[in-house]
Amino acid sequence: MAKNDLITRNLMLDSLRQYAKNRISFNLIREHDAKNEIPLDILKEMYDHNVLGVHLLLIPEEYGGLGGQTTEIYRVCEQLARIDLGIATGVFATFLGSDPLNVGGTPEQKAKWFKKIAHENKLVAYGATEADAGSDLVSLRTRAEHVIKDGKVVGYKITGSKMWISNGGVADIYTVLALAPGGPSWFIVEKGTPGFTQDVHEDKHGIRLSNTAGLAFDEVYVPAENLIGLKEGQGFLQAQAVFGYTRLMVAAFGLGGGEEAVETALEYAGQRIQAGGPLSQKQGFMLKLITPHYIRFEAVRAYIDWTAKQLEVNNHGLATEGAIAKLYATESGNKAAEDAIQAMGGFGYTKEFSVEKIKRDVKITCIYEGTSEVLEMTIFRGRWQEHLKSRGQYYVKQAEEFEALHAQNPDVGADSVALGFRALARVLEDCRVNKLTRHQYITFQLGDLITEMEVAAVFTRQCANKLVTEGSRFDLASLCTMARVNARQSAFKVASEGMRLVLGTCPAINTTELAQAVNLVAIEDKMRGLIEDMDVVSAKLRDTLKK
Amino acid sequence: MNIIVCIKQVPDSSQVKVDPKTGTLIRAGVPSILNPYDHYALEKALEIKAKTGAKVTVLSMGPNQAVAVLRLALALGADEGVLLSDRAFAGSDTWATSYALATAIRKIGAYDLILCGQMAIDGDTAQTGPGIARHLDIPQLTFCERIDANNNQVIVKKLIEGGHQIVQAQMPVLVTMTFPADYAPKYPSFLAAHKAQDKQIFTWTAADIQADVHKLGLEGSPTRVDRIFPPPARPKGEMFSGSAMELANKFVEILKKESIVK
Repeated sequence: MAKNDLITRNLMLDSLRQYAKNRISFNLIREHDAKNEIPLDILKEMYDHNVLGVHLLLIPEEYGGLGGQTTEIYRVCEQLARIDLGIATGVFATFLGSDPLNVGGTPEQKAKWFKKIAHENKLVAYGATEADAGSDLVSLRTRAEHVIKDGKVVGYKITGSKMWISNGGVADIYTVLALAPGGPSWFIVEKGTPGFTQDVHEDKHGIRLSNTAGLAFDEVYVPAENLIGLKEGQGFLQAQAVFGYTRLMVAAFGLGGGEEAVETALEYAGQRIQAGGPLSQKQGFMLKLITPHYIRFEAVRAYIDWTAKQLEVNNHGLATEGAIAKLYATESGNKAAEDAIQAMGGFGYTKEFSVEKIKRDVKITCIYEGTSEVLEMTIFRGRWQEHLKSRGQYYVKQAEEFEALHAQNPDVGADSVALGFRALARVLEDCRVNKLTRHQYITFQLGDLITEMEVAAVFTRQCANKLVTEGSRFDLASLCTMARVNARQSAFKVASEGMRLVLGTCPAINTTELAQAVNLVAIEDKMRGLIEDMDVVSAKLRDTLKK
Repeated sequence: MNIIVCIKQVPDSSQVKVDPKTGTLIRAGVPSILNPYDHYALEKALEIKAKTGAKVTVLSMGPNQAVAVLRLALALGADEGVLLSDRAFAGSDTWATSYALATAIRKIGAYDLILCGQMAIDGDTAQTGPGIARHLDIPQLTFCERIDANNNQVIVKKLIEGGHQIVQAQMPVLVTMTFPADYAPKYPSFLAAHKAQDKQIFTWTAADIQADVHKLGLEGSPTRVDRIFPPPARPKGEMFSGSAMELANKFVEILKKESIVK
């Protein structure tokens, strides 16, 4: 059977949207949020083949699934996040829990467990995190001891505990990371196995429709055939192989949550009359609280989509790109939700409107699947290596690409991207020469600046190539205006922040020389027409974003 | 039994605004959907299919992107799709459109029942279905809310002013459907959407259906649209309060003043 094409993806998204419209009212969400309760019947219904069968996307076709590609999975994640991030997390946990099997399972294991997950609508949980092992899985404490019979390993006894496991209290099947004699390994543990218990559901700040619980293992026996891949010591590799991909999904959560918040605020602003006209017509309101956020969403939508399509070719890897997508999208989504409350004033602060809940929900996306700080470090490490290997030319080369692009298409901000890349190259080089990366804070911030420029670059390149990002509701001309605004602001951030970091750690450096080296004046010079462009974007947002 | 359902892709009119200056529709960012009346007609056809094993073919005329509504119909359970797509069709009014669709139906060949939505929400004319029946010279039943078909007959519940009729007709017949107030369209599961990719959609041009090009497009369309404009805003009403007697007196006074009563 063919891979899902664009029409099929859109049909799936329509079905999901319609299902939510009919079955998941805001009142239902509000009630479950107040009661801190997972809507299990909704989740089971979403897994029902005849209703949606959303979990089938993750399951390869040969085992009765849809063999979903990264693009449709991230788009479904974005849509799920727009509905409710708690429900989205419940579905995602099944996706994530199935991943070790997808990456490392033997054909027999895949056949057995995927068929079960596909046909019996089983909820899955991913059991990796421990009290002392979050992103730092090396500190793993849960152990799996050999059970030997007739000189042969016939099974394992798992002892230890996991915490903050999504679907922890409600899943049927768990993939659990434990330290076997041969190293960290994934095991499949079924609910009801003797010695395996689930703690109470956590009382969380947000995503309260997602069940989160600790797991306890007291000499839980699993047969040797439940060791994923039938080989010990593959656990970290199997976990890391999918980081690029899983982080992209959480990036889509940040995007979806943020979009929903901003669009809710904009809808309100269209009706709220203030000093003779609707708030949405006020320049200050739009340019401060709405427009910049949506520009960042379109930038990161382009980046997520580009990464997704790369992943479809490369299958795994792209850990740095996945981290960039997640850092940018979730931090943007979180800030946007905060401003959506501000935009709605007192209404935004009450539980009558969804933005207050979205704000609580979306915060988790900056935490799970790697905190923003872990991602900044990951991104810095990945690109620092490139900077060193290329003797400082990594971003200079990219600047040259964008200079050429600007010559062909002067309307997409490629000149600003080029300046931003040159500034970034210079800041990295100053950090190298002056050994500034011994400051951990500098490495975090560099990770952030790298992210800023790389997202701007992809967005601008897509626009220069006249590509309208899949899922975007804007026309090419609007996207080009957004790319232009975005590129200017990103370049400015890199140059000014870069100066702050270098001068802040290395006072001996001459300020004027550094400002010249990062082309600060040239970058500032590109700001001409910025506010006019932003006004154009505001008008487009008002026309296009009708809920 | 062979059923043909005529469907149309339309902008979701619940999200369309009219530009007050130009009088044209602002279509930017407005999603396209399957016309809800056609969606209902399709569901009715699929119910008959479930009961009788009929073959359901969906037919649409439009640009290439209209293939999306055909795919939706296939995902919901239709067997085969046909898209009429050709620049020669562009600008057709309801008469020329119904000629094109009828000509395509002749090419499809065997048909017992043709189902259409009562009207499309982007034009609200309700003329295309009856036009097809006229071109094919078969009977038509319009404005039907319920339909049942077996052997060679259909029985429909046809809405009329102030009530309804139960009407029975011999096939072949064309029926246009309207939906009840509580109608919620069905949408396919992910699996059904995925499987619909394997079903056949034929794309036909005017030449493929051997249509007379003079009867298509602007040339074949007797209708001329003079202008489109939003209805003028209603003037603000005046509110009165008081006892029943005071209000009654006030109203009589106004009616007299406006010379509505003497």
